[in-house]
Amino acid sequence: MRPRASPVLRPAGFDPHGAGPVLALFPQLVVSGIATGMLYALIALSMTVGYRATTVVNFGHGDMVMAGAYAVFVLLGSGMPFLPAMVLALALLFAFGVLTQRVFMQPIIAGPHLSLAIMALSIGYAVRGGARLEWGSEVTTLTRPYPQDAFMVGSVVFTTDDLVISGVVLGLLLALFVVFHLTPIGRLIQAIFQSQRGAALVGINVHAFHGMMWGAGAALGAAGGVLLALIVPLSPDMGVWTLLRGFAAMTLGGFGSLHGAVIGGLLLGIMEKLLGFYVSTVFIDITAYLVTILVLLIRPSGLFGRQASIRV
Amino acid sequence: MTDIAKKESLPAGGRSRSRIGRSVFWLIPILLLPVPLFLDQYRQYVVNLILVYVPVGIGFNIVVGNLGLLAFSNVAFFGIGAYTSGVLALKLGLPWWATVLPAGIMGALAGSAASVPALRGVRLFYLAIMTLAFGELLRWVYIRWVPVTGGSFGMAVPKPSVFGLPLLTEGHKFYAFLFLVVLMVILTNRLLRSRFGRAFMAIKSNEQAAAAMGIPTDRYILLAFAWGGFVVGIGGSMYAALVGHVTPIAFDLTELILEFAIIMVGGLGSLVGSVLGAIVITSAPEFFRNWLGFQELLFGVLIVVVILFLPRGLASLLARLHPIFVDRYYRD
Repeated sequence: MRPRASPVLRPAGFDPHGAGPVLALFPQLVVSGIATGMLYALIALSMTVGYRATTVVNFGHGDMVMAGAYAVFVLLGSGMPFLPAMVLALALLFAFGVLTQRVFMQPIIAGPHLSLAIMALSIGYAVRGGARLEWGSEVTTLTRPYPQDAFMVGSVVFTTDDLVISGVVLGLLLALFVVFHLTPIGRLIQAIFQSQRGAALVGINVHAFHGMMWGAGAALGAAGGVLLALIVPLSPDMGVWTLLRGFAAMTLGGFGSLHGAVIGGLLLGIMEKLLGFYVSTVFIDITAYLVTILVLLIRPSGLFGRQASIRV
Repeated sequence: MTDIAKKESLPAGGRSRSRIGRSVFWLIPILLLPVPLFLDQYRQYVVNLILVYVPVGIGFNIVVGNLGLLAFSNVAFFGIGAYTSGVLALKLGLPWWATVLPAGIMGALAGSAASVPALRGVRLFYLAIMTLAFGELLRWVYIRWVPVTGGSFGMAVPKPSVFGLPLLTEGHKFYAFLFLVVLMVILTNRLLRSRFGRAFMAIKSNEQAAAAMGIPTDRYILLAFAWGGFVVGIGGSMYAALVGHVTPIAFDLTELILEFAIIMVGGLGSLVGSVLGAIVITSAPEFFRNWLGFQELLFGVLIVVVILFLPRGLASLLARLHPIFVDRYYRD
């Protein structure tokens, strides 16, 4: 993937290297870091949902994110208003997620991890190849369904992008929290994550459930893709870009942990901004990779995860 | 090409008969010798590209197929080999033949580095994610380390030569490449048929049991990564000589699916498979190279189909034809 500008949420006219005491920018960096981090959190969470249900990591998840953004783009092009287009796109991606799980993953679910990982990866590549075939050579963007604006609170600039992204993500997080902790579905998820055989024995339809959760993960990821597409141009490679950051957030928070994914995403967003500003701009691009590598080497279980490595 | 590698299954005829059967593999490189006489420069280039991807597939297959670890870092070794060869030739003025071994050694060092997480106990998709990040980090280094790598535009590699003889045509390169490929296949075959190969098989089927039986698993994992990196690094230096231009874009994630396609379509854990995969997969996109994204779509779909319907790849079809193609050092 070509190096791309990271989605820096910086209002027009704001110059981070301008005059003024450097420390005074700290709150600003944290605020824009949180806005980016919210996106990472959503992506990481959508991956965690699929992972917890099936204990299979979807290496093609990034391309679901990308497909969500392009689906909205196509629907908007057909004259649909933004909100219905987004809802329809999420429904489509949900169906696509269920379909891939049932048709491609389920037949080999008992096989080695290797096949599962490569299968998911290959489906993602096929989707990405399809998108590149269709839109690879044109620059496309989503038009914001709200006015682009920025305003000051104290010395900190907020943009409408920041607020919309954070608001939508917070809403989704809240909904997920309710589903996972306060409904019977949450208990089902927990049961299946702990022991698939046990869950099947007490009468839970594990297969159907796997498909649903895989679809739910895809739809959530697609929501992340739409939000991302508000601030960066669409590209077939945006999926991988988010996948690697989603992985970094999941690793940092601890694989399989829902709140870990959210906190990991937020931390990653803030770290990118702070390291990028105070140390070197190169960190904006590579923080995610370094975080992934270092966390897995030093503390593979992340902040909130379970033991992730084996010792022989 | 030279698949001396294939196993015989030692049935009725016993060892001597299977030896005779296996010597047939020596005919393959000999029969290939006159090939440049019949091909034009472009077709010869495609054949050379296949030869480049044979070691790339072989090295990848050792770690993923034989050892069974989910390591996605093969593209990184390939890039390191190509860049080592290119930098040594361009900055130090070394002839190409003198850069092949250093490229392999750098690949082996990168392989050893990539094995560190595996030795620390990182497995399954954790290892996959980490090696993926490692590859992307390295690609970022190619782009940013402009004085050495030439940045996004890459660098032009001087015309290759062997012992003072310039390799002027694709046909000349073919012979140099064929020699290296035959060497790599023979050495890898030897490795896989030795106790090392058997240890890889034991680790793949049950690592804890292998360790409990006294197999020093960490040493074998390190060895598999290092040898895989070595072979792939040599493939990288061949790539630099063939294409004459090393750019970061050649080592992006599209390259990863190509290399996965080689080992999956050819046959996981099979030396014949790596060779078959390189032939089929490398020649296919040459016909469609002008359609942006078609490669990814084609390989993605191809791998999905292979996993669902032919899990052991083309090598398993070949194994049905004659027992000398049966894999002896691979178990499911």
